[in-house]
Amino acid sequence: MECGVRCPRRRRVRPFCTQTAMYRGPGFDFSNSLRNDFLQHKGVALPKATSTGTTIVGCIFKDGIILGADTRATEGEIVADKNCEKIHYIAESIRCCGAGTAADTEFVTAAISSNIELHALSTGRKPRVVAAMTMLKQYLFQYQGHVGAALVLGGVDSTGAHLFTVHPHGSTDKLPYVTMGSGSLAAMAVFENGWKPNMEVGRQPLSPALPSWYSNDNVRPAVQREEALKLVCDAVAAGIFNDLGSGSNIDACVITATHTEMLRNFVKPNERVAKELKYGFRHGTTAIKSEHIRSLVVSEEITPIRGEAMDVS
Amino acid sequence: MDRIDMDRLKSGEVNLGTSIMAVQFDHGVVIGADSRTTTGSYIANRVTDKLTHVHDRIYCCRSGSAADTQAIADIVHYSLQLYTQEFGAAPPVSSAAAIFQKLCYENKDALSAGIIVAGWDKEVGPSVYNIPVGGGSFRQPWAIGGSGSTYVYGYCDATYQEGWGRGEAVQFVKNTLALAMGRDGSSGGVIRMCVITEDGVERLFVPGDQLPKFWEGHEVLPAAVTGANVIDPVPMAVE
Amino acid sequence: MSSFNPYTQNGGTILAIAGADFSVVAGDTRQSEGYNIQTRYAPKVFRLTDRAVLAVNGFAADGNMFVKKVKQRLEWYRHAHAKDMPLRSIARLIQTMLYSRRFFPYYVYNILGGIEEDGSGAVYSFDPVGSYERETCRAAGPAQSLLQPFLDNQIYFKNQQPAPGMSHPTHLPLQAVLALVIDSFTSATERHIEVGDGLEMYIILGKGRGLQGLEGVKGVQELTISEDGERIFVVRRELKKD
Repeated sequence: MECGVRCPRRRRVRPFCTQTAMYRGPGFDFSNSLRNDFLQHKGVALPKATSTGTTIVGCIFKDGIILGADTRATEGEIVADKNCEKIHYIAESIRCCGAGTAADTEFVTAAISSNIELHALSTGRKPRVVAAMTMLKQYLFQYQGHVGAALVLGGVDSTGAHLFTVHPHGSTDKLPYVTMGSGSLAAMAVFENGWKPNMEVGRQPLSPALPSWYSNDNVRPAVQREEALKLVCDAVAAGIFNDLGSGSNIDACVITATHTEMLRNFVKPNERVAKELKYGFRHGTTAIKSEHIRSLVVSEEITPIRGEAMDVS
Repeated sequence: MDRIDMDRLKSGEVNLGTSIMAVQFDHGVVIGADSRTTTGSYIANRVTDKLTHVHDRIYCCRSGSAADTQAIADIVHYSLQLYTQEFGAAPPVSSAAAIFQKLCYENKDALSAGIIVAGWDKEVGPSVYNIPVGGGSFRQPWAIGGSGSTYVYGYCDATYQEGWGRGEAVQFVKNTLALAMGRDGSSGGVIRMCVITEDGVERLFVPGDQLPKFWEGHEVLPAAVTGANVIDPVPMAVE
Repeated sequence: MSSFNPYTQNGGTILAIAGADFSVVAGDTRQSEGYNIQTRYAPKVFRLTDRAVLAVNGFAADGNMFVKKVKQRLEWYRHAHAKDMPLRSIARLIQTMLYSRRFFPYYVYNILGGIEEDGSGAVYSFDPVGSYERETCRAAGPAQSLLQPFLDNQIYFKNQQPAPGMSHPTHLPLQAVLALVIDSFTSATERHIEVGDGLEMYIILGKGRGLQGLEGVKGVQELTISEDGERIFVVRRELKKD
């Protein structure tokens, strides 16, 4: 009995039937989105896009950038993908986490990755993070928020390590530690509590104060690495366990000036438990109602009417 | 102006709730802003820099939609670079304001941007232009903007005087912004300021725990009781 | 501007299966609102009597209040008649209680499980305004669409042809039912974001029918109050917490 149906009003619609019917303002025409909102309000079900409910994070440390992401993709309240990849490739030393509409994050990062490669080829230089950031924000601004990509962009270039967030409408922020997606509040709480400047490649062991479901021996691989990496994992874990839109595993990506290390499924705190029963089905379980076998082999005999057959050698 | 019309923002759009300000003084201008960026009730950035460089001696203060104002500032920045290449000299503040005004006016149905342009040029010296939502352009000795500005018009009117020097102008901006941030929920964080003179641009920073203090009222409750008479709170009996 | 909405959906899922002489009623323990977890342990299954268990799902505040009122009516019945209300009477009571709020309903889906007076296991399922029927198995809540087809296949053997000369059993043994319930919830936890944290299974055994292998189940706990009647047990399991 959901009474409060939310219908986000979209104002920015260009006049499409004015006195000067030939005139079109600059930029794209979003009048169809008005129609779609109207239809949705009337009860027409529009297709549900896969969204990455998501916790994505990024953090600057002494030698570069660490990005982190969960691996759950949802369609409404159903988990569409339990182990998707949300850290996208932009360039060797630039990576981008995506939240929001899955298709938009994948396409927009692929498009910018392609343009960055061409840009690098034409300039003969390694690409800069600001270049990717500018391309992304200009692309998203053009679409006025209709391309629903919320991004965490990070990387190392000739000018140092840079970390940005890009919102769907095209605004950007430059910060030392960032989070986005539905789990961003949980993750940001961890950062605000634990982040400090110039985090080292420390050797200190993981703190014993981790939540019980997180520090199980079988759950945590024997990786006791950087302090910053642990903070990133804690931030993503906070999203995974406290936000229903986020879940499954932790992906991380460590970017330094010399090397980029993609740590796919770095922590797997949510392995599926074994089933109680075996669900094999005996042959013949599915009833056969009728059987009809048709020959797909067609043979044809060709009889030349006059002269020889065409020389096809 | 100056209340940011929330309906002008699309759902989920990043908002510079904002208190911004610019003041002219004898040798330059002081501009200032709070540092809060919000999406709904969440603070997306608590150390935002809303004082945006568009040329060597021309800055703008942004309020309204973060995406819109960043896009506008980027276009103006580009236009002023082009101007410099074409004319071989720095553009006047009036030209920068005119470009801002043109963009805001011609795209008024697509934008929510309230901008203050301020800077120094060799033609008129220091100047401040206010470009509110809708795309007007007004030269003023001082200007305030953003949602927090509504709380401090009275203070500004009562305080501002002509002929101030740098020190008085900086103090005026700092006090005004602190008062606005204290009353407006969508403003807060730290105060960032820039002093723009012929000689250059100097950045000033006031941390959130060192803002100027005004009357804050008295504690409603008496000071905490300490000593042996303190009775430990007993947990409520639960069935 | 939308007006005040008195209802909230609090997630979670419930499930009940009836055997020949037992009944199993289960529910997860997560309570959520939107993308937030309100608590990882909020019971959705409640012991009413030694032979009746009620699972509620939907709007948690309505559910808790509804269970409270049902328990109160059952206590009044005990005082008036010096015995527990029979299961089918509880089912009819729940119907009238739900329908009495026809135009401001309790926003809850109820499943009642237990033992009938004839000693058979029974499950009754209700809609929010009191329509009900007796069934062998039922899932309700957000993950109903995931679980009910699975139960139809595994309990009712829908879309399964028996081996030649064989026939499907009408009732499954307790061990098999418990295994199906656990697998149902671990699977729903995998694919539904609102299901998880913990699982509570209540088992009601018919009078004098033995433990049927329940003694070997890890962590089983007896909740029976009266002697020589039906026996009631609870089994708790962890579910994934992401």
